[in-house]
Parts: sequence; C-alpha cells; structure tokens
Amino acid sequence: MPVVDVDPDELRQLTGHTDKDDKTFKQDLFGLGLEFEGETDDGDLQFEFAPDRLDRLSVEGVARSLRYHYGDDRGVYVPDTNDPEWTIEVDESVPDERPYVTGAVIRGVDLDEAALESLIQLQEKLHATMGRGRAKGAIGIHDLAMVKGAPLKEGAERSITYRGVEPEGDTFVPLDANDELSPAAVLTDHGTGREYADLVEAYDRYPAIYDELGLFSFPPVINGRRTEVTTGSRELLVELTGTDQWTIDRMCAIVCYALSARGATIESVEVEYADGASAPEQYGSELVRPNLDIDEKSVTHDRIETLLGVEFEPEEVVDCFERSGLDATYTLDEEVTYEVEIPPYRVDVLHPLDLVDDVGRAYGFDNLAPRYPDIGTVGGRHERTRLEDAVRTSLVGLGFEDLLNFHMTSGVANYDRMNVEPGTDVLGGGEPVSITEPYSEEYTQLRTWALPSLLMLLEGNTHNTYPQDVSEIGFVAERDETENTNVAESRHVAGAVARRDASYEAAKGRLQSVCDDFRADLSTPPTDHPSFIDGRVAEVVIDGDSVGVVGEVHPAVLVEHDLEVPVAAFEFDLDALR
Amino acid sequence: MRLPERQLAVLEAASATDERTIDQIAAETGLKPETVTGAAFDLRDEDLLDVTETSVEAAEITDEGSAYVADGLPETRLHRAAADAGAADDPVSMGEVIGRADLAGPEVDIALANFPRKGFGTVDSGELTIDASVDPDDDPEATALAAIQNASDADDAGDGDVLTDVDDEVLDRLASRGLVELAERTTRSVTLTDAGVTALMEGVEVAETVAQVTPELLASGEWRDVEFTEYDVEADAPDVGGGRKHVLRRTADRVKDVLVGMGFQEMEGPHADSDFWINDCLFMPQDHPARTHWDRFALDVPPMDDIPKTLIDRVESAHREGYGDDGDGYHSPWSEAFAREVALRGHTTSLSMRYLSGYAGAELEPPQRYFSVEKVYRNDTLDPTHLLEFFQIEGWVMAEDLSVRDLMGTFEEFYRQFGITDVRFKPHYNPYTEPSFELFGKHPETGEEIEIGNSGIFREEVTGPLGVDCDVMAWGLALERLAMLTTGAEDIRDLHGTLADIEFLRNAEVSY
Repeated sequence: MPVVDVDPDELRQLTGHTDKDDKTFKQDLFGLGLEFEGETDDGDLQFEFAPDRLDRLSVEGVARSLRYHYGDDRGVYVPDTNDPEWTIEVDESVPDERPYVTGAVIRGVDLDEAALESLIQLQEKLHATMGRGRAKGAIGIHDLAMVKGAPLKEGAERSITYRGVEPEGDTFVPLDANDELSPAAVLTDHGTGREYADLVEAYDRYPAIYDELGLFSFPPVINGRRTEVTTGSRELLVELTGTDQWTIDRMCAIVCYALSARGATIESVEVEYADGASAPEQYGSELVRPNLDIDEKSVTHDRIETLLGVEFEPEEVVDCFERSGLDATYTLDEEVTYEVEIPPYRVDVLHPLDLVDDVGRAYGFDNLAPRYPDIGTVGGRHERTRLEDAVRTSLVGLGFEDLLNFHMTSGVANYDRMNVEPGTDVLGGGEPVSITEPYSEEYTQLRTWALPSLLMLLEGNTHNTYPQDVSEIGFVAERDETENTNVAESRHVAGAVARRDASYEAAKGRLQSVCDDFRADLSTPPTDHPSFIDGRVAEVVIDGDSVGVVGEVHPAVLVEHDLEVPVAAFEFDLDALR
Repeated sequence: MRLPERQLAVLEAASATDERTIDQIAAETGLKPETVTGAAFDLRDEDLLDVTETSVEAAEITDEGSAYVADGLPETRLHRAAADAGAADDPVSMGEVIGRADLAGPEVDIALANFPRKGFGTVDSGELTIDASVDPDDDPEATALAAIQNASDADDAGDGDVLTDVDDEVLDRLASRGLVELAERTTRSVTLTDAGVTALMEGVEVAETVAQVTPELLASGEWRDVEFTEYDVEADAPDVGGGRKHVLRRTADRVKDVLVGMGFQEMEGPHADSDFWINDCLFMPQDHPARTHWDRFALDVPPMDDIPKTLIDRVESAHREGYGDDGDGYHSPWSEAFAREVALRGHTTSLSMRYLSGYAGAELEPPQRYFSVEKVYRNDTLDPTHLLEFFQIEGWVMAEDLSVRDLMGTFEEFYRQFGITDVRFKPHYNPYTEPSFELFGKHPETGEEIEIGNSGIFREEVTGPLGVDCDVMAWGLALERLAMLTTGAEDIRDLHGTLADIEFLRNAEVSY
C-alpha cells in the first residue's frame, strides 16, 4: 500500500488549521483511511493508505481531503488555467512503444525546501502507482527559464518537441552527472539509467524531448541537468510521456492540483501530434492540456438507500457529495436521480457505485447499525470434503497422526530422493507441473505424490519418540493435457508406519482396515516400485482399478532421509473409496 | 471359610466382649487405620463384625499453646515478675515488670487482659499490684493445656485427643484464646458378632492374592475368592499415543460447521486455474502490481482453452469500457492470451467466480450463500506468520438489494461464534468490491486489535459480466490467522508443512 510522508507544519499551513496538533491530524486522517505508520528521520509523519485515492500522495492532496472533512471546502474545485503559450510537438519519430505526451506550464511558483521535497515525492509516488514503475507514465519537471523554444506557429510563442532518437544519436548531460552522455551510455554508465534501462532498451529509437538548444530530457529514464528544478525556480514545465494518454493526463492533473494549492498559476500547453505520429484515438491530434475537465455520472437515490440500508432526504445526499468534494444536482421525477460532477484528480471513480461509497464515507459507515439479513438458504458440505473427512477419521482411529504438508516441492524431493524418474509409469512418476519462474530451489513444482512429504516430515523428527505413524490426505498434481487446465489434480491417501517393527504387514493391515470401512474391495498383486524393496511391494488395486502402491520403503530411500527405523507405507487415490 | 488376609487379621484382632477401636486394631495388626476401616466394613457386610460409631470432642494444641506450655502463660509470667519486683507490697511500674517478664509483642496485651481476669492483681494508671494470696501455679487453664500437650506428645497421629478430665468451660476458654483447636471426631469400634465367633471357631483360611483379572479367573468364578493386590494408584502411567486430526483441519472443521449452520454451501474447484478466473473476472487490471510474476506462481502448462467466449468478451469489455452506461474501464492493456495463462490461484475467489457465472454447475438464482476453506498460493516472504501456501476462508451471499448493514450483520455473527465481538469495519479499497471494509477485532485473550478479514460488495464490473444482476457480498480471511488465535501457536511453520514438529502436533490443545 502506498505511503505518503507529511510535514505536519506544512499540513497546518495548507489546511489553514494552524492550531491543530499532530495527534489531532493523526486521528482525523485515520478516519479518512490514512493510517499513521511512523515518523521519518526528518520528523515527517508517514501515513499508509489503500491505493484508490492517489491524489493523496502528497501533503497538498492530504490537506485538501482534510479541508473537505473539516467543512472548510465544499463541492468541486477546478483551478483556472491561462491560455497556452507553449506547444509540445509530437514528431513521427517518437517510438511506437511510448507514443503519448502531455504537459502543463506552471508560473509563479515559490518552492522552499519542503515544497520542492513534496513535489519530488509526489512525482516518485505517482511513478510507482499509476505510472506502473514509469512504464505506463513518467513525469519530467523542468525549470522553464532554462528551456529555449523558438516560435513555431502563430498564437503559440514557443515549442518543444517529443521525438525519437537513435541510441547513440545525440548527447546531453543528465542529472547527477558531469559528462555528456548518449542515451545508450546513460543506460549503462548512469545509476538511474541502469535502474530504468529495461523499460526502453528493446526500443529501436529512444524517447527524447528537444528544445531549440537540443536534447534536454530522456523520458522515462532521466532529465537533463540544464533544466534541473531548484528552490530558485519560478516557472516550471511539466511533461509526461507514456503508453496511455488518459493515464498521463490524470497524473498531470494531480501534479497541477498540488502546485495550484501552493498558489501557482496553471497555464495550458498545446499538444500537437504530427501526421505520422500515433495520436490518441479518443482525443484526436490536437490537444489542449492539462485536461482538468469534470466528469459526470448519475446514480439513483434508490441505489444509495438500498446499498447503504439507510433512508435519506435528497438534501442529505447532496450534502454528503459536497463534503466529499463532489457536486450533485437532482431531478424529482418518478425516481430521484443525482447528476454528480467529479473532479479530474479522482482517478478512482470508475462507476456510480464509487459515488455511493463516497456518500457512505461522508455519512459515516460507523453510523450504520449491523443487521442480520432475513434470507433463508440451506447449508451443506461438498461431497469431496465429506469423503476426505471420513477417510481421515478412519486413519486417525488407526493411530495415524494427521499431517498437512505443502503442495509445492522440488524435483529433488519429489523424484530424486525417492529414486523415482519423472515421466515413468509408477506412482509419483507423473510429469511435473513446474513453476515458470521459481524463487526458491525448494519450491519449483507441485508434488506428484504425497509419500515424499511424509518421509521429509519423518526426516525432521528423528529426535522425537517412536513409533511415528503419520498420514495425509492431500492434494497432488501432474501435467495432463487432456484436462481443461492441463493439470490433473487429485487427492491421495498416504500413510507411513515408522517404528522398529514396521513391516509390509503393518502397512497392508492398516490399508485393509481403511478399505473395509468403505466397503472397497482390495487386492495387492506384486509389482515393482523404485522407492520400495523388491518382493515387498504391491499394487493397490481397489474395485479392479490400480490406484496406488503399498510396501516396505527401500533402505536406500530411508538412508537418504537419515532414517534409522524401517518404514512401511501405502498411497492411493482417494477417489477409489468413493 | 476363606477371607482376604487383611480381613482375617481384623477379625482375629476383634473381641466378642470388648469394643476395640480401629486405632487399637491398627496398632495390633500393623495395618493402616484406613485399611482396617475398609476391612471392618467388609466384615460387617458379611455379618461377622459389628461396627459402632461414637462422636466426641477432640482438642489439638496449637503452636502458640505449645509455646506457653514450655514458657508459661504470659499472665503467669507477669505475676511472677511482679512478685519478684515486690508488687505484693507496693505498686510497681508496669514497664519495669514487662521488661523483667520478658514479654514481647502481642504477649503484653495477652498478659494484661488475663492478669486481672484471673484475679492475679490489678492494673491501674500504669502500675501493677498483685494479690499475694493467689498461687499462679494453681491455674486450671495452665494445667489443662499441659495435659493436652502430654496427650498430643503421646499420640503422633495429630488428629486431636480426647480429654475426659478437662472441664468444658476451661476447654472453651483455651479454644477462644487460640491455644487449642476443637473438632468433632468419630471413633469406630468393633466387636465380633456370634457369626464372627463361630467362623473363627470353625477356622478361616487366607484367600489367594492375584495381580490381574484373567479370562480364566472370570470364567471359573474364582474371582469371588481372591484378593487383588493393591496398586499405587497415584503413580504416573506411561503415555498413550494415538492419532489425531491436524490442528488446522480441526480449526477448518469448526469454521465449516459455523458456516454450514449459517446456511452456506461448500464450493470446490481447481488449484491451478486460468488468470481469467483468478484475476480478470475479479476486475483486477492486467497491469496491477499483484499480477506481475513477482506475486503469482505461473505454471509451465499450455494456456486454458475452454472458457466460454461470450464470458471472455463481457469481461474484456468491462476492463476496457467499464460496465453500465456511466462505467469507465481501466486504461490498462488487456490480452486474452494473458487471461488464458494457467497459474496457482492466489485466492479462492476464483471458485466464487466459477460458481457465480454458472460455470461450476447450475445457474444460480438468488438467494444463495457459498463458502470454501481451501488452499491458496502467494509469493510472500516465509516468516512466522506467512507461508507460501495457506488456507483462505472465502464466503459470499447473493441476494436482491443487499446493503452494507447486511454485510456487517453477517460478519458480526460469524466472528461472534469464535468469541470475537466488537468487530470494527474500516472502510477500505479493493479493485473488486465497493464499498470495501477491512475487519478488525479484539483478540479474546490479549485484547489486541488485529485484522481479521477483508470484505465488501462485489462491483458491478465483477457481477455484471458473470450474468449476475443482484448484489453479492463477500469476505475472505486466512484460516491460519484464526488458528493462531485459537491454538496460541507463535510460528505457523510448527503447524504446517514438512518442517512441522510431530510433538507439537501430538500435544496441540483440542479446541471445539
């Protein structure tokens, strides 16, 4: 879950509640779903929250939420935007993999250390969440005074260009470096470059932003040093590139709201996609950005009442909407319906249901009285788990300790240590279902049989008292392309008797008892199995089907598991007892 | 006639003419008094002995009483010291006399209270005068106390001594001073009956003693004439092993019982499933961080072919365009190929999706309640509270017009069954439910507030494409979390997996 660092002094200043102490803020924010996690070394308060309200990824957004909560603000607020002076030209050379760009110009900023830190935090946290680690959207913020744009067309005084560049096609001095580097060199020689190299290294051309003086930004990897933002910066150029126009537009809106909250003025930019560039289908090739348009959704009074289980007057509902930073009007027709206006930073509102949630939060879910629903249904267990339980009861009655082992294992444990070859026609020899990118050598596949798990448990308990009679009814799986999922899943019944007098008879006697319980007809013709002693191993044939194996475990397998007592064991398919 | 050895000993020690007490017979036979009592009653049942019971008051000297027998009663010591100081002639200072009498602490008050009562003298304005005509050694209380001490020394049974020659009034006084303790004591005495005398005259043989009841003994009827050797019934017995159901299974059973009782039907379905059922149906965007390879266990099997095409189209549409007139989709890539990939399920909500869509069986009409307690797989870091595999309790209710209040009422009822009251509902966010709540409850023993589940009402982007046009509320919880609360286990690895300690499983407390 995302964490936002909040300077409490900034919070007091931005909310206008200079008299509130940290403790009050912590309580009030908890009510909004931001949980206090601790303090940073600098004394900032850290709050964790669910990743829906991404507008709260900076102190400015947190302060805005609090002002609505305190009733200082009501309804939708949209910052004014001035007419564009700058244009972002999108050249046809832009890499196909990252076609979209958006941006804004910000004037009259006054960044002290805390404000600059907050802006950088917002940028990084948006990268990590909506930006999907910069893959989907990346933000570059520049000191506008250092950007030189020649007038390109009438009405727009200045421009920059988003285009593609050959990996070695140009050079610039990136942030935190002193030398001119090509984009390709950034990916190998610069720390940040190495960190984000995998995002672009497969591209033929790399994304680049140019002004009159040349290359000054290499999104989504790193900005140039020339346009670095400092506390002295008074005017900013914000640009975002990405794989989805809507996503970068919304990220841009959240940044604009944050800077506007500090008194800055937002100025639009024009975004012009060239004929050969792939303009976003839904918006066309000429865009005015930032897009701070208000969205509208409608929701019925009835839906709000039934979902929350409370009766409301329409005015109460409108009040809840306004306290949530939304605006609503309603029509008193047959059915009361609210037309709700949603500001552009609310990236979480996908459906009218999300508006009902806002009403619930504003009304206070704590104020809802729980009630047990008056709905009659008939309960019951699934036949499979009932069978499993019945067999488990039989095994426990025979003195077996019931086990619960992991379904994931390794090829070594499942095959090698049991002396079994994968892809052979013995119990446990099925083809493995493997995990494509395993993280640990111990868990690389699903187990094809349960006996290896039982022996591993015995291996870990040689210091404990004997006899150790253990059993498990557990999940096993093997690759089988005749199955819908291409995985054959089943449950095996496995039992192992580890004691001084463990013999074939001991295992078969218990197996017989279980089969008798279920009126299953058992026969045990001799067979071979590499985990068992020749001449002391048999097929488990139940009602005419070969479903498992019973025998004395081979000394080589025992020694492999550090066991110094004989073990006799059986394993068969649970379905045979159906 | 044959009698067990101890009965015969008692019979022989009894007399037809004199009443003999149990203690006397015990002393004579060398048997324990309780053995003699048992044998006496057995003999009475055979009409060989009469047993009479008499009840008398017995006195037992206390530690304080014993001390006074040795040192003299405090008032007596005060009288002697005062006499030595010449108080028979003139009043003497009390402080001086108390020092001389070597009285300390509560003894001073005891002496000063009893001194005038017994007429030893007077106490006035801090001075003492004694009555020289009184002989403090001729004191019935001291005499009686000494007699009780003598009797007690003679009998070490410690159960009080009967004193016939002590005046009741004096005894009561000693008891009220805490120097003796009085108790009712039953004395049993036996005399031979005529039948007893006859039996002895005719001769009684000792019955055989045997160690164990045997089939032969039972079949022959010989058990009637034998005596069984006594055991030390307090000695430790060897441990008896025996199997038991795994403690997590037992917790799961309890959960299932509760849910079945609340009208829930159990679900069943594959562990390895397509991402479609695991995530896409749940309206989880395909670029959601939880769907990267870091969090899921993808399997190396071919993609799943058999998914109804119309369902895929509806789910894709919900992701891309949203659901309903005012719905927005995610602005995320969506690929059918990814949806068909097979992985281990990260939650059992995949089963809920299969059931709600009708794919698992019949089309469901509201109302319905379903649950499962099944294993899920997550790539977490292994630690005392996290495993790569764990059991998830999943439950949902499908009905027309469900409200948040119904959700709260249902889950309050569920947790109440496990002793967790005061469930708190904290508004939360899940991609697949709205509204959503994290559930918190107080640990029944530590009182600590802990997360006990995640819940919500499925979004229309989830239910709509599945063809469900009523409300569905759902919740999930790790079974292990509940089990750790009920078993007190501190490391989940002790319970679950091949590293489990068999002794831990053998000794786990049974809960019900």
